[in-house]
Amino acid sequence: MSVDLETAKLTAEIPTTRAEIAAEPLEQKMRRQRNRVISIISVIVFVAVWEAVGRFGLVSPIFLPTPSMIYQEGVMLYEQGIIQADILASTRRVLIGFGISALLAIPLGLLMGTSDVLKAIFDPILSIIRPLPALSWIPLSMLWLGIGETQKYAIVFMGSFAPLLVYVIDAVRRVDPLIIKAAKNLGAGRLQVLKEVILPGALPHILSGLKVVLAVAWTCIISAEMVGASQGLGFRIWNAKSWNNTPQVLLGMVGISVTVLTIDVLFKTVEKRLIPWERSRR
Amino acid sequence: MALIEFENVSKWFTEAGVTVHAVENFNLSINEGEFVCIVGASGCGKSTLLNMVAGFIKPSSGRILLEGEPITKIDPRCGMIFQNYALFPWKTVLGNVEFGLKMKKMPKKQRRELAREYIQMVGLTGFENHYPSELSGGMCQRVTIARALANDPKILLMDEPFAALDAMTRQVMQEELLRIVHDRNKTTLFITHSIDEALILADRIVIMSARPGRVKQDLVIDLPRPRHVSDQLTQDYLDYKNTIWESVQEEVMQNMLFAERKLA
Ligand SMILES: Nc1ncnc2c1ncn2[C@@H]1O[C@H](COP(=O)(O)OP(=O)(O)O)[C@@H](O)[C@H]1O
Ligand SMILES: [Mg+2]
Repeated sequence: MSVDLETAKLTAEIPTTRAEIAAEPLEQKMRRQRNRVISIISVIVFVAVWEAVGRFGLVSPIFLPTPSMIYQEGVMLYEQGIIQADILASTRRVLIGFGISALLAIPLGLLMGTSDVLKAIFDPILSIIRPLPALSWIPLSMLWLGIGETQKYAIVFMGSFAPLLVYVIDAVRRVDPLIIKAAKNLGAGRLQVLKEVILPGALPHILSGLKVVLAVAWTCIISAEMVGASQGLGFRIWNAKSWNNTPQVLLGMVGISVTVLTIDVLFKTVEKRLIPWERSRR
Repeated sequence: MALIEFENVSKWFTEAGVTVHAVENFNLSINEGEFVCIVGASGCGKSTLLNMVAGFIKPSSGRILLEGEPITKIDPRCGMIFQNYALFPWKTVLGNVEFGLKMKKMPKKQRRELAREYIQMVGLTGFENHYPSELSGGMCQRVTIARALANDPKILLMDEPFAALDAMTRQVMQEELLRIVHDRNKTTLFITHSIDEALILADRIVIMSARPGRVKQDLVIDLPRPRHVSDQLTQDYLDYKNTIWESVQEEVMQNMLFAERKLA
């Protein structure tokens, strides 16, 4: 009797298995499809209105070029290979500067989050650096490093390191102390707790921190390129403005937007792989 | 020699200049293979006691001996089962159960095999690759039991482990726990505020006084096993229940009077 009760219990007890999550109700699916159609129509209407505003002379194309003008500019720059080179240059700078920043901030943050002594050592330095906007590093970095690639990496690094470190420390502090106790109770030593409990426990918050700071890194690089560079999306926009080439200014802006969006989507895919246990909660 | 020996254990907390005596001169010895339940009013220091055995906190005075040696740090020989499960959310059922073995550096193949055995023992075969967020409360508590047992502790410490479960699940879990504990001949120190739960489970019931917690009464429960819900109607059972209830009630009353005096 106890066995029967048992099986009945187990089957009744599972409220959300993966299968159930996958099989989304039909109604919900239809609503999602409907919303997607609405979104597409919204984009089309937006672009059409913009085009019309220029065509009918409501706003001079010198101030606001029409989408078709931006498109033509894009085709031209694409054929010359310029826009691709700009996107590549900016992306590379962001990824390298940001990568170095993450590589240093994550281990240091894990240590600072778990050791009071290390936190006491680095906290004062961090609290002085943190309020500085990334852009305030531009003059100094140019003095030290000129306007080469190294200076670009340095700007991204300076702009993203401190906020990232703060995110990582915070993520570490948010790990449930009960789980740490449980791990120690099961025989985990200091290093094992760090690797097996604190790192994975903090990972979801670290990843959302990375996402936020990645956007900061983009702000840094675009500004740095506007001040001193010979390539990159920031340079392209600033250069076009000097020549009064408004379509190119807007093209550069669209370029930034599309690139950042693409990287964001890639990031989300990676995130899903890194924290599969959060799958059923989202 | 007793497996666990409390020797004049006291614990007080000082917070913002106010000192609370949670446990005072607690003496108790637990023998190998015994199932001991501690019952007592809420706030009488039961959790504090268990946390000291696990090594999470240190006694303010006195000592606790495990196999004759005082406990000075968190000790894996005392397997804790938390009321809130404290499972690793990023690990599957299998990953959780094999955790202790991994910490001991047992080879992967061997520890997987062993973990599967314990998963089967708690009736979760088929759920090895599920994450805790995909399981119900009862299933999570099974995982913590398997996780603690796989680590082969000397004593199981359980702090109101079934209090958050519904009545049906709780009853099933109690029966399962008894089966497993007797199977493996594990010593268990189990905290509960339910007299019925204690009477179903225990070889011995220790009633604690109101705060500061002391041993008020130490009763050997001489009821036949296996015990079923139907046994709750026998005269012996009812006698035990009455004795314990009266004893606990005195302490609860004292607690309430104390609180009233404080308010007045
Ligand atoms: N970390 C702590 N700091 C201060 N007071 C505590 C702490 N832990 C427990 N206490 C106090 O000690 C007393 C006993 O608590 P506890 O052992 O949790 O009781 P029980 O588990 O029997 O309900 C309570 O009055 C509680 O407020
Ligand atoms: Mg308690």
